[in-house]
Amino acid sequence: MDKQQYTCVLISDFNLQNLAGYVANDPEFPSFKAIAAPFGPPVATLLNKDQPYWQDSPDIAVIWTQPQSVVSAFNALIKYEQIRLQELLAQVDEYCSLLASMSEWVKYAFVPSWVLPSYRSVFGALDMKAEIGLTNSIMRMNLRLAENLEKASNIYVLNAHKWVERAGAGAFSTKLWYLGKIVFGNEVFKEAVRDIKAATRGMFGHARKLIIVDLDDTLWGGIVGDAGWQNLVLGGHHHLGEAFVDFQQALKSMKNRGILLAIVSKNEEQVALEAIKNHPEMVLKLDDFAGWRINWQDKVENILELMTELNLGPQSAVFIDDSPVERARVAESLPEVFVPDWPQDPLMYPATLLGLRCFEIPSLSQEDLARTTMYFSENKRQELKNTVSSLEEWLARLAIRVQVDELHPANLQRATQLLNKTNQMNLSTRRMSEAELMAWAQQQHHRLWTLRASDKFGDAGLTGIVSLEIQDRSAQIVDFILSCRVLGRKIEETLLSIAICHARTLGVENVYARYIPTSKNKPCLDFFKSLFPRFRQQGECFFHDGKEPFSAPEHIELIL
Amino acid sequence: MPDFEKITQILFGVIDELNQLRPAAEHLDKSLDTPLAGDSGRLDSAGLINLIVLAEQKTVQDLGMPILLTDERTMSQINQVFRTIGTLADYINLRLNEKGDG
Repeated sequence: MDKQQYTCVLISDFNLQNLAGYVANDPEFPSFKAIAAPFGPPVATLLNKDQPYWQDSPDIAVIWTQPQSVVSAFNALIKYEQIRLQELLAQVDEYCSLLASMSEWVKYAFVPSWVLPSYRSVFGALDMKAEIGLTNSIMRMNLRLAENLEKASNIYVLNAHKWVERAGAGAFSTKLWYLGKIVFGNEVFKEAVRDIKAATRGMFGHARKLIIVDLDDTLWGGIVGDAGWQNLVLGGHHHLGEAFVDFQQALKSMKNRGILLAIVSKNEEQVALEAIKNHPEMVLKLDDFAGWRINWQDKVENILELMTELNLGPQSAVFIDDSPVERARVAESLPEVFVPDWPQDPLMYPATLLGLRCFEIPSLSQEDLARTTMYFSENKRQELKNTVSSLEEWLARLAIRVQVDELHPANLQRATQLLNKTNQMNLSTRRMSEAELMAWAQQQHHRLWTLRASDKFGDAGLTGIVSLEIQDRSAQIVDFILSCRVLGRKIEETLLSIAICHARTLGVENVYARYIPTSKNKPCLDFFKSLFPRFRQQGECFFHDGKEPFSAPEHIELIL
Repeated sequence: MPDFEKITQILFGVIDELNQLRPAAEHLDKSLDTPLAGDSGRLDSAGLINLIVLAEQKTVQDLGMPILLTDERTMSQINQVFRTIGTLADYINLRLNEKGDG
């Protein structure tokens, strides 16, 4: 995890000093410097871009308001005055316009949904009636807020109801309100910080991508090697069996959201696979798993092998095992793997899994949804590789096609995702929001291309980015990014050829790439070094003579 | 009846909560002499509000006895009552035992 401290500006019509305290002092990654704006002035004033706290382009802003403060029609409704729904929603629209303008000067903004303390529901039977009930109105307002802000790519509405529910009886404190203009109890703020941090981790590319599970007493009840698959506790009219099925359902739902599943288990492989294939109540099928290591070896070794096979780093993985001994061993040996405390009681398994806040991503691309399928395609590629006599033959038989596009609204979301989460083949490791990336690409002397790669086994999707900045007689390759899932097929050279070809048409004398080292991008350095003599290293830069062509490899079909 | 030791432990729990809001270098010691409010106090107004609310909540949670720390009697001697953890524990002990006598 990087040690960078991010800036978080907190805007509210009430006192958020306690939230600022938790944001700044919570030990979880990432680290934040919290700036709480004064809470007296109207929110519209606080959102004015000339305010001092906006001047340093904060990474995160949280705008948390009471509904009656920013929607005057709702304030009237609280007094049980007659208010038309249309008027209420029109004011929500106005507030959203104000929020949307902020997307230009902040990387990411979070807007907690509006909540009312339960004591406001005086007329319970009328509470859900349109234009009368406060709860009905607040639900409609929140829905409108979410719909409006969906259009802003870097503003997210967070579900504050969840925080209030988890905080329980201490969610609201009239004492804190009257003494300090603090609306919520501290448990609400703690929950908010957990969600804000989880979302931020996702924004900056630190979401986990892989869940590695044990089998016996984790995926099902019982020891399959002793009991046989027919006697496992799984499904049926049994509380434990139902809990294991629900746990598998929860894992399946994760897989449907693009999280890879894998197995590391001490078992006889054949016996375990038979159970997965034959047990009628197994929710997870063999093709739900991107890989497995089922044997009697040390689990740490198995995890490392599996990570290599899947081309993922340990910081991508979560390890779930019922055995505290195995968990401790993995946590100690592989500190970057997240090993959650796991409950002894299987009835707690589904909720524990779904409560982990490490999978959040700011958007869901087609590439995310198809991730497991892509790993199966990769297995087929590797099988083919084992049957041919040379790398060249393998590459030729893959029939690789590369499609190149400029940055546009349709590929912006995925391109930003790739920019923010690629670590290894990444020249400069820039992290930007969608708005920032598009603004950069639209500048006069900047060009940015995306690359989609496919072959006879499948479509890897948008997996590459290259960008250029033209400076007088030279061109700098600013971004050179390739997903690890397509490395080693000379797509790297293809990506480079796109930028160099364009630079040559402008008649530049040289093209250079400035390598900015991180703890993870040495593969990028190695790649540029391997290009000698076409690229020559001078310090941290690699230079290519603009007079010399740089062609894409012949085995790749380039679609421009 | 509650005693000074139990009340001190409750207040140390409150200090743990307050420290979550503060940088490590500014953590309050769990000691009877730790200054809270007043000239040499370590708490700002927001910190004092949190202390009051948390002390009230934890007292009723752990002892089953409510204590009101925002009444006129307390506010009129705020700097003495909240001078240190020890003075606050003394005051809560006094108030709770007064109620017991009634």
